[in-house]
Amino acid sequence: MLEDYKKKYTKPVLQHAILDFNGNVVESDNTLFQDLKDKYIGDIHPFFETFSALLISEDNETVFSCVHLEIENRNITADIILQTFKDGKNPLLIIHDLTSHYLNYQSTAQVRNESVINSQILELKNIYLKEKEVFKNRFIANFSHELRDPLTGILTFTDILSKTNLDLQQKDYIKILHSSSNFLKKMIDDILDISKIESGNLELSIEPFNLLDLLNEIKFNYKLKAEHKGLKFLHSFDEKLPEIIGGDAKRLRQVLTNLLDNAIKFTSNGSVTFNVSLNQIRAQKASIHFEIIDTGIGIEEEKLEEIFTSFSQVSGDDSIKGTGLGLAIVKHLVEHTKSKISVSSTPGKGSTFSTNINFVSKPSLKVKKDKKKQSQLTTSKKYNILLVEDSEITQLSVLKILASQGQFFLDIATKPDEVLARISNIDNEVDLVLMDIKLKEFRGDEIAKKIRKLPERHQKKVPIVAMTAKVFKEDLSLYKKAGINDVLTKPFNESQLLDIISKNLK
Amino acid sequence: MKISKKIVLLGHFGVGKSSLIRRFVENTFSEDYKVTIGVHIFKKNVSIPEKGTDVSLVLWDLEGNDDISNTRLSYLIGTHAFIYVYDVSRPATYKNLESELEFLKEKQKNTPITVVGNKEDLVTKTYLKQNVDDFGSLTDLYVSAKTGHKVDFLFSKLAEALI
Repeated sequence: MLEDYKKKYTKPVLQHAILDFNGNVVESDNTLFQDLKDKYIGDIHPFFETFSALLISEDNETVFSCVHLEIENRNITADIILQTFKDGKNPLLIIHDLTSHYLNYQSTAQVRNESVINSQILELKNIYLKEKEVFKNRFIANFSHELRDPLTGILTFTDILSKTNLDLQQKDYIKILHSSSNFLKKMIDDILDISKIESGNLELSIEPFNLLDLLNEIKFNYKLKAEHKGLKFLHSFDEKLPEIIGGDAKRLRQVLTNLLDNAIKFTSNGSVTFNVSLNQIRAQKASIHFEIIDTGIGIEEEKLEEIFTSFSQVSGDDSIKGTGLGLAIVKHLVEHTKSKISVSSTPGKGSTFSTNINFVSKPSLKVKKDKKKQSQLTTSKKYNILLVEDSEITQLSVLKILASQGQFFLDIATKPDEVLARISNIDNEVDLVLMDIKLKEFRGDEIAKKIRKLPERHQKKVPIVAMTAKVFKEDLSLYKKAGINDVLTKPFNESQLLDIISKNLK
Repeated sequence: MKISKKIVLLGHFGVGKSSLIRRFVENTFSEDYKVTIGVHIFKKNVSIPEKGTDVSLVLWDLEGNDDISNTRLSYLIGTHAFIYVYDVSRPATYKNLESELEFLKEKQKNTPITVVGNKEDLVTKTYLKQNVDDFGSLTDLYVSAKTGHKVDFLFSKLAEALI
């Protein structure tokens, strides 16, 4: 009875067949396949075509694992064993059906391989995206740089023009010129900031500054701006706020003014509220809460994340100007302080942006006072300024600004030899060099190095001020190494130029 | 007499060995990736008019492996030619190309190897030129199982060379 059960319920997994040395099946037990006998093995399945070379009279076992076969309309995955013998006995073929075993193995391999391939593809995508990002940032940096010279010209001559005799209409035109060029400058600054942030080149300083002064100044400016647009400007500054804290005042101002600009821009009725309060002071850290509330157009919930993305403007209103970088910069700057910015909004009712930023609560250094009117030189001496610059616009801008002061003689050099010859002329000493960095034929920092190597002791120490748009950390370090004393960022206006000259003159 | 040639396709997993064979044998292509385990064997007759004959190509589609030394050596017995396939878009599949080919040459001294960069439809011609140091100098042909580009050419030229 057991034998009957075995025959009925045991699924055969092995087939044995005897072959002759020509590859014909001479005997088969017909367990898996019924019709092999008397067939040439190569005709049963192309897999067996290579057997002819193995059918020799030697003791040998050849195992082929995991072979997929389709024979007699049946698909199996089997291990195939060919056993040959040296005494002339016929070769033995064993087909071991392991279909279910290999099916499990296939599922495991599928999951593993897919996961490996996906992670490799993801890695490649990341590399590609990084390369794209580097290219984009380099392009933006170079492009913005090229815009700086003409913009310096526009800003300077707008200033100069505004000081001439103009009628009322002309004064109005100048105001428009002035605000448009300042807007353009702000956009270029934003683009440069975002490229600096995204390329990891942004570093925040920790300097002591007067928080209350900064907040009051912002309040004053934005109250005017809001009221000019017919909006109420409300504010609340916590009495417990520390006066002096340590942090990056310039970047804090940038965060707050971007948020306030944004609030005013998207609000046509109602109010803009600016609240600042002290969260806590603990372990030399002051956590300060900033909140900007508007009653503007608001943002739909699904677009809340998008607003912090570079070049994103979700309002859909083309009449609202901007690069779409303001909030992206805010988010990056806040995150640089290891804080987060949050936003809640109701479309049609308004938005609230808030963040807690940590500062040093008791900075040890004293607050640097702004030196107002630094540009006024107290002596009546006339100074020789050497301008190394090949942009005619910048040459003319500097010339006009310095000529208007009546205190400077200006020489212009555009070639390295001219610069070195002028500096070496000890009969007519140069008091300060204004040095462009990226000239068409040479680099200003390279010339600075040569000046510092000159033999004349007093001339080789002439103050050198770089004029450039390239002010990333590595650029500044390069200028310092070249012996450059100070850097004037392009585009600059009249007072910035005069300030830096005055600061660096002996 | 019928001429039959065994051609073994090797290379990393996911490089498109099965897809190349399917494109050649059935002229079909599927975006779905199905892992090959062990070996699948296919057969296709190729006529060589220049030589007035037909060749029966027996194509062994081997399980992909990221290290060729893990290949089951019994699969290589009686091979007339190898096609080593890599994926031009995935560096992991060609980063050890030179040593993988050395291994094959060592195991089967006189068996010709054709090196094929598959998925050329995913990259630009400039990309292929830029990567000449990585795989360009060792590659015989860039193909695409997806578009069919140069697939028939690959097998028919190989068949012709094997007669």
